[in-house]
Amino acid sequence: MKSYLSYKIVFITIYFIFLSLEIFANTTLEEKVKKLTLELRCMTCQNQSIYDSEAEFSNDIKKIVRSKFKEGKSEKEIKQFLVERYGEYILFKPLLNYKNWFLWAFPFILLVFSLFFISYKIRKN
Amino acid sequence: MSSLIGFASLVLAILFNAYLIFSNFFIKNNGKVFNLFIRTSSVLTIISFFSLMFAYVVSDFSNFNVFQNSHSEKPLIYKISGTWGNHEGSMLLWVSILSIYGLLFSFTKNIDLKFKQETLLIQSSIHILFGLFIIFTSNPFLINSVIVEEGLGLNPILQDPGLAVHPPILYAGYVGYSIVFSQAIASLLNHNKNKDWISVAKKWSLISWTFLTAGIALGSYWAYYELGWGGWWFWDPVENISLMPWIAGLALVHSLLMAKGEQLLKKWIIFLSILCFSLSIFGTFLVRSGILTSVHSFASDASRGLFILLIFFIITGFGFLIFLLKTPESSKPINFLFINKASALVINNILMIIATLTILLGTIYPIIVEVLTNDRISVGGPYFNSTVIPIMIPGFLLMSIAPILSWQTNKVRNARLYVLGFVVISFIVLIQSYFSTFNTWGVLGLILGIWIILASCISIISSSKINYDFKLLQKINPYIAHIGVGVAIIGITCSSVFKNEYELNINEGDKFQIENTMISLEKIEMTNEINFQALRANFLIEKNKKIVARIKAGKNYYPVSKMITTEAGIFHQWYRDIYFIVGDQKDNNWFVKVYINPFVSFIWVGVLIMVLSGFIGISKR
Amino acid sequence: MNRLIIFLPLLILLMICFFVLMYLLSNKDPNKPPSALINKNVPIFISKSLYDSDYVIKSEDLKNKKVLINFFASWCIPCKVEHPLLFEISKSYPDVYLLGLNHKDKSNDAKNYLSQDGNPYDFVGVDSDGMIALEFGVFGLPETFLINENGKIVYKFMGPLTKEIIKNEIIPLL
Repeated sequence: MKSYLSYKIVFITIYFIFLSLEIFANTTLEEKVKKLTLELRCMTCQNQSIYDSEAEFSNDIKKIVRSKFKEGKSEKEIKQFLVERYGEYILFKPLLNYKNWFLWAFPFILLVFSLFFISYKIRKN
Repeated sequence: MSSLIGFASLVLAILFNAYLIFSNFFIKNNGKVFNLFIRTSSVLTIISFFSLMFAYVVSDFSNFNVFQNSHSEKPLIYKISGTWGNHEGSMLLWVSILSIYGLLFSFTKNIDLKFKQETLLIQSSIHILFGLFIIFTSNPFLINSVIVEEGLGLNPILQDPGLAVHPPILYAGYVGYSIVFSQAIASLLNHNKNKDWISVAKKWSLISWTFLTAGIALGSYWAYYELGWGGWWFWDPVENISLMPWIAGLALVHSLLMAKGEQLLKKWIIFLSILCFSLSIFGTFLVRSGILTSVHSFASDASRGLFILLIFFIITGFGFLIFLLKTPESSKPINFLFINKASALVINNILMIIATLTILLGTIYPIIVEVLTNDRISVGGPYFNSTVIPIMIPGFLLMSIAPILSWQTNKVRNARLYVLGFVVISFIVLIQSYFSTFNTWGVLGLILGIWIILASCISIISSSKINYDFKLLQKINPYIAHIGVGVAIIGITCSSVFKNEYELNINEGDKFQIENTMISLEKIEMTNEINFQALRANFLIEKNKKIVARIKAGKNYYPVSKMITTEAGIFHQWYRDIYFIVGDQKDNNWFVKVYINPFVSFIWVGVLIMVLSGFIGISKR
Repeated sequence: MNRLIIFLPLLILLMICFFVLMYLLSNKDPNKPPSALINKNVPIFISKSLYDSDYVIKSEDLKNKKVLINFFASWCIPCKVEHPLLFEISKSYPDVYLLGLNHKDKSNDAKNYLSQDGNPYDFVGVDSDGMIALEFGVFGLPETFLINENGKIVYKFMGPLTKEIIKNEIIPLL
């Protein structure tokens, strides 16, 4: 019982150290472009990300993303720009809006539900 | 001629099965007659499959399916594998494997006769449904209305050794769950009187899971070298579909383990058995109906989709209805303590099911949204990475300590040793990561992977005595499987987080240096092969001025289908892959992309260990 | 409670089958996503004429008339297929302003193409770098947009137009 708790403490502390470290890491332009284009769909390909694709469409979007970042636009603004033109279909990571809240909430609903279930069973024993 | 034999034997097989089911309502067949019918129908289905294969091998273009998907100039191996390289043929393979499972199960001894027969009857019903599907919507034995000399050729991406092994093994996994499903339903119908099925189900679910694991890994490896963008997993719908029954099957294998601890979760096991097969059929439906876009090529047709949807609805609906009507009464309450083996297994099961359901929702959510709002959205890799992986991580943590937990008490054996091990590993990885690129997921994955391996090794050492024989191997088998998982986690983490890529524009004779390795582009050559033209760039890899390897990468052009495929060149080392892709020529220079994939081979090795452990588990008496 | 949980799998099964069936029956094409611009204003653009670079068309010029915008290129084979149908539209509906946008093309190639196959357009604009296509969310040629008098996009079609599409989808909106 006690040892299990110490696992948890060790794990959680280490995890938070990591999290705090990553915030300080500054990202270069190319890294930003890579991160964003990995989350975008190449509309002319079969389920391929723009980053991975060498299609003409993908190369155009890569250029546009790069120039928008250079203009100082944020990732969110660039996504918004693309969604206005190509629809949410272009985003591999669905936006958190009224359509998709269930998609994002679902795993957490299940987790919370099963957490209750487990603690109930343990208490019963 | 072979088409006729094939079609006739398929129809006969269905008739045999239909008669068997029909007659079973009126007369009690004795065991021998029953077995004869089952086996005849199975053999007939297999004959049907082989006659299609024969038509492919001899390039019998009077068969419409062969005409559409084959070409006489193809090498023999692709003629054989071309049998299942198309929708019709692959469905016939599906049904043939279904028959093989029925055939094998009919030879099982020492189980209750009634249970066995009912299992086989359910298996036959599934056979009839899919047999009718083949005959009415995807008949591979149609006769070509015109006489032709030459076929249209096979999709170039499918002209690969991958096609020869990946689908049959994957199907052996998917379809294997049919027998688990049938057993679960039969045991429900039998009012759960016998406990036979637990040990039987253990074996068959492990067989299916092992094949499914091997099949998925082969497919992943195939995509890795064929698609040519350096990745091996894309969270593509087709991949998700195979992952769902795999995770559910893993949960099933683990919950069947609990039967060993005298703590039977019968309801849960039956639910999982039904779920696994349902997910398998649902996967077949999604792939075959073509309602999803995928990087993996498939022959699809929406009209067939309706038929498979109907079959999916009938089988799954029937399964869950029986489950509802004949719910097994609650067995002994499980010994559920704060931290013991039982609770660890239950928690892991729950996590696996949450992961499965999340993947399921993510895969079909675009369909739901489009039906409701007429808007189209994508649910891709980023969604699954940020939901499924965090869900699985506590599971991996539990997995690594599971071996030291006991069934009955709250005590943890050798707890101090394990805590110490975990802390030491964490610090080593953390320090190491400071000197290389830092990444939260990378560090987390490495710690988990190494710790799982180490904890399993400690468990093996502390549990084994000196006599090294096969029995010992079976005893430590779960740890072997877990070591495989650990190895795979390290491979997955490193190859996805620490992957590097370099883009170059170079000409023949140019040299460049990538991570301590000198690479030169020797020459570019064009050759004419039997059924394609090949462009190959020859790379020379040197280290310390010694030639290490020569790698060819390039593209193939298939004139018959006017398609170009990328042929990646991969230099395998145990700790990394150097992955070459050649693009287009621009201003006398060739565009070359080089990926450095660290520890990617660990994924395949890890999976191999899991598969081996699966086979050891199957051979257990 | 327990009873309810056991009903759950069947319920989920029914829901999945319902949605998938609806999707199958609606005959949607996985390769043709619906446009994000339907019922939105025409994006702002300026395009030079293919024949006279002093002569430009702006998005404001499209007000108060029905406009059919067609993205085409000389290298695009499906565009050649739909080309004759554009003549039919311009003949039977002279009120509709037919705007052709020449996408990523060489101006000589485009001129040759239009002199060989005829020019159905009221105005041919140049989109050599594809920036106008980007504003319209175009990613595969040909694509056709219908714009009403208020400057709203009311219809979009991807791929070559067919007689059926024109008859069933476009003409009712004219």
